[in-house]
Amino acid sequence: MSKVFIASAGLTPVGEHWRKSLLDLMVEASLSAMNQAPELIPDRVIVGNMFSAVGSNQEQLGAYLANQLNLIGVPAYKVEAACGSGGAAIHNGYLAIRAGESEAVLVCGVEKMKDIDVGKVTAALAMADSAEYTQFAGATFVSLNALTHALYMKKYGVSKEDMAGFPVLGHRNAALSKHAMFKKPITVEDVLRSPIISDPIRLMDSSPVCDGAAALLLVSEEGAKRMDGPLVEIAASEVAANIFTFYERPDPLDYLATRAASKRALEKAGYKLSQMDFMETHDAFSITGALALETLGVCKPGEAPHDVSAGRFNLDGELPLNTFGGLKGRGHPVGATGVYQVAEAYMQIAGRAEKNQVRGAKVGLTHNMGGVDTTTSVHILRREA
Amino acid sequence: MINPVSYWRLKDRYFNLVGTKCKKCGAEWFPPMRVCRKCGSQEMLDHQMPHKGKLLAHTLMKETSEEFKASSPYVLGLVELENGQRLLAQIVDVDATGLQDGIEVRLTLRKMAEDSKKGTIYYGFKFTPLP
Repeated sequence: MSKVFIASAGLTPVGEHWRKSLLDLMVEASLSAMNQAPELIPDRVIVGNMFSAVGSNQEQLGAYLANQLNLIGVPAYKVEAACGSGGAAIHNGYLAIRAGESEAVLVCGVEKMKDIDVGKVTAALAMADSAEYTQFAGATFVSLNALTHALYMKKYGVSKEDMAGFPVLGHRNAALSKHAMFKKPITVEDVLRSPIISDPIRLMDSSPVCDGAAALLLVSEEGAKRMDGPLVEIAASEVAANIFTFYERPDPLDYLATRAASKRALEKAGYKLSQMDFMETHDAFSITGALALETLGVCKPGEAPHDVSAGRFNLDGELPLNTFGGLKGRGHPVGATGVYQVAEAYMQIAGRAEKNQVRGAKVGLTHNMGGVDTTTSVHILRREA
Repeated sequence: MINPVSYWRLKDRYFNLVGTKCKKCGAEWFPPMRVCRKCGSQEMLDHQMPHKGKLLAHTLMKETSEEFKASSPYVLGLVELENGQRLLAQIVDVDATGLQDGIEVRLTLRKMAEDSKKGTIYYGFKFTPLP
């Protein structure tokens, strides 16, 4: 089986792209990736996206993008797993190369959220959970995470101040990044002063509604021979699905999919967690940031918020986390996020992270969740030995 | 909001909390499972859940989906029924600021939302504290 490498990455800034459509964003990110590796022509196009049908009245994104890139006749399709769509799309491209069916795969994650009003975005995001029960009861996606946030604070006696360490870290790293949405550092007081969306989740605990696209060009060992420069390998790509809704799980705080995907990824790549030089986790909310770290095994149960506030995960800390700001600071264009994460990990390992560079980064892990840890992917990237 | 046909199909589940029960091992499920999570059996029967339970956690929702704006803000609760099955439901007839987790709650049939274009009124399960 062929190894899988990342030949290039292209990103649009994350933000409010009023002058650009869903298609404009996909094309911009894709051409940026393709133009950095002109020796490769994609033989497959995979789009990761959650709700283009609601946001832009558009489906069939694979062919829609391939057409504009003048890649006619190749396999082209969309992969969907809610906010985990991007990671699942990369997984699909990885499999195609591993199986020997493709030599160069373009994976593009995209979401256009700002074109529709916020009530419609809220309804679209709730589609990550069941229409028949969760949505019918009047739950939103934020409210699901608010309930786990409340259970978590009660179980471990965690303070509001400590929980606020996640957005503070995200904004601090984002302020250094060219493509991140937020350029202004914030304080714990800013977080605690922000309005409540769904108690105890405040506006500043939540990743923003935004637009963005990220693209990766994946290449086989054979294709990589045509390239020079440092190669970054996808050493593992794993996806796992949990019991569908968090309230059906024996323990509502159990991120089983995160645990299963990360365990398999580390085993297959032959690493221990302690060998990671940095990590990108799915901090869509402060609570998902905390539960991700604890489930991955980086922090003891109930201690992630304190560890974050204590500086353990700063850019110059023991294990740099969400190095370009994560979902909170860089932004969370939902179906694109998993691709942004892997693109950022690639930039770290290739030494192209500029002001966000983690010194000597050779191996890193990304973690992308659809729903409340319902469909989770974990990728491990490393510099070629 | 769900479409009227799905709503009609689900009315017993919504009005009486009809889930499923495994014919083989007796495990009860809500939302209904088609394959038993406990024993793997595919022989599942419709079965009414208990209408009483306990409030495990709640959130006061200030921001809702478009369809629920008319009743916003409201309290969404994580309810554990007497048979251990859990669901999400709005908690009504309560003062949100004084609401304590751990209280006993019971099923009540209430209006969920109204489709202003088609005129459909959707009723469904909410929970209220036991007197």
